[in-house]
Amino acid sequence: MNFSFEVIWHNLPYLLAAARWTLLISLGGMAISLVWGIFLCAGRISRGSVIRSLARLYISFFRGVPLLVQLLMFYYMLPYVGLDLPAIAAAILAVGMCSAAYTAEILRGALQTIPAGQTEAAQALGIPTLSLWRRILVPQAIRIGLPSLVNELILLVKVSSLASVVGIGELTRISQNITGETYRPLEIFIAAAVIYFLINLVISGLGRLAEKRLEVG
Amino acid sequence: MGDNLTDQPIIQVRNMSKYFDEFEALRDVTLDVHRSEVLCLIGPSGSGKSTLLRCLNFLEAYDGGEVLLEGELIGWKSAGASPRKALSGEALRRQRQHIGMVFQQFNLWPHLTALENVAEALIHVKGLGKKQAHEKARAALAKVNLSDKEKNYPANLSGGQQQRVAIARAIAMEPSVMLFDEPTSALDPELVGEVLSVMKEMANEGMTMVVVTHEMGFAAHVADRVAFLDSGRLVTCVPPAEIFGQVPEDPRVRAFLQTYRERNVV
Repeated sequence: MNFSFEVIWHNLPYLLAAARWTLLISLGGMAISLVWGIFLCAGRISRGSVIRSLARLYISFFRGVPLLVQLLMFYYMLPYVGLDLPAIAAAILAVGMCSAAYTAEILRGALQTIPAGQTEAAQALGIPTLSLWRRILVPQAIRIGLPSLVNELILLVKVSSLASVVGIGELTRISQNITGETYRPLEIFIAAAVIYFLINLVISGLGRLAEKRLEVG
Repeated sequence: MGDNLTDQPIIQVRNMSKYFDEFEALRDVTLDVHRSEVLCLIGPSGSGKSTLLRCLNFLEAYDGGEVLLEGELIGWKSAGASPRKALSGEALRRQRQHIGMVFQQFNLWPHLTALENVAEALIHVKGLGKKQAHEKARAALAKVNLSDKEKNYPANLSGGQQQRVAIARAIAMEPSVMLFDEPTSALDPELVGEVLSVMKEMANEGMTMVVVTHEMGFAAHVADRVAFLDSGRLVTCVPPAEIFGQVPEDPRVRAFLQTYRERNVV
């Protein structure tokens, strides 16, 4: 059996269509991860002991349970609590909420490297806590944590393949389906690998660009 | 109040004490700072100078006694005995707007330019529009002779320039008192002069200043009074001539200045 580019060429439209779902899960997950991660991080270092414990519990749960299990839990459990979400929404939520736990810890680590004096300077000037976070701490934490955040986002694209277990026709699932029809796993999975790789190449390129732009001081 | 207001010391410290757990950092400190006065705090390291300064704007919460700014109790809701309640964040922020502070490590925000560092509080505390805030910030930078550096980030400024930006950031808020916490201790020797000369200029313009310093020359020539602390206690608070112009009476002050002469005057 020879390697056939024709098989790839022929099935490329289906693979690319499936990659759109991969992108949707990844981008949706990223958005949730970043926004929710900032709040989680704030909770994790908050002075309120209840909020702090809740955030710590959340983080240890989502870091400690396999994402595959979380995905299945979300998919099967949400209807029980009255949330009948389409599979794609459950997948995006699961991926994003899990990733947020890591994002929160990345940001917390970055925040710890910002000298306490910067906060004191803001307090001495009478700058409100919200402005302190919005204008001084978060922008720097993102800048410092950027390499790790990009890492996390790349990981997120890869774990989007797990959404195949809840029946979403994303890249991995469709590749399997096509393989089942064509009996050409090598060609199809190489093509899928290249598509994943290209998506992540774009993300790491954007990450480098962002690092350059934020590079001051 | 009229006349009373001008006579009243701008800062009154009354029997203030401060503990870090079991350690008594300040004991029964009583001290006045008058309008347009320059008061230098000197003493051996660990004597409580910086802690005293940081209690004045409640960056450290003092435990006993009172700190009054123009008659208003700083930080606590009432002067009464413990446990007393701290002011709300809002009320404390309002008080702190009147107290400028300059730190040993400058504490500029590295992701903002010099101009943005100075304008930040004008926008987010005073509520000025961006244009107006930048105008004021430029005026403050001009005062510390840094008009040409407004677009620089802190990393692209020398230590002396960074400290001058930090001073501009504080004076742009038009505080009624300025606190300096060892403002030149982190600087290379050749950069100390530019910061001290800005401070001298401020003193000449009548700014009320409390300065923790190891620069005995500044204390001797610019201060109106010099307070000497030792082991958390205020030993003496007198015009500089009484400390530097003659052999000080108190043996602790004498010993402190002696080590200074040995170290600094080669």
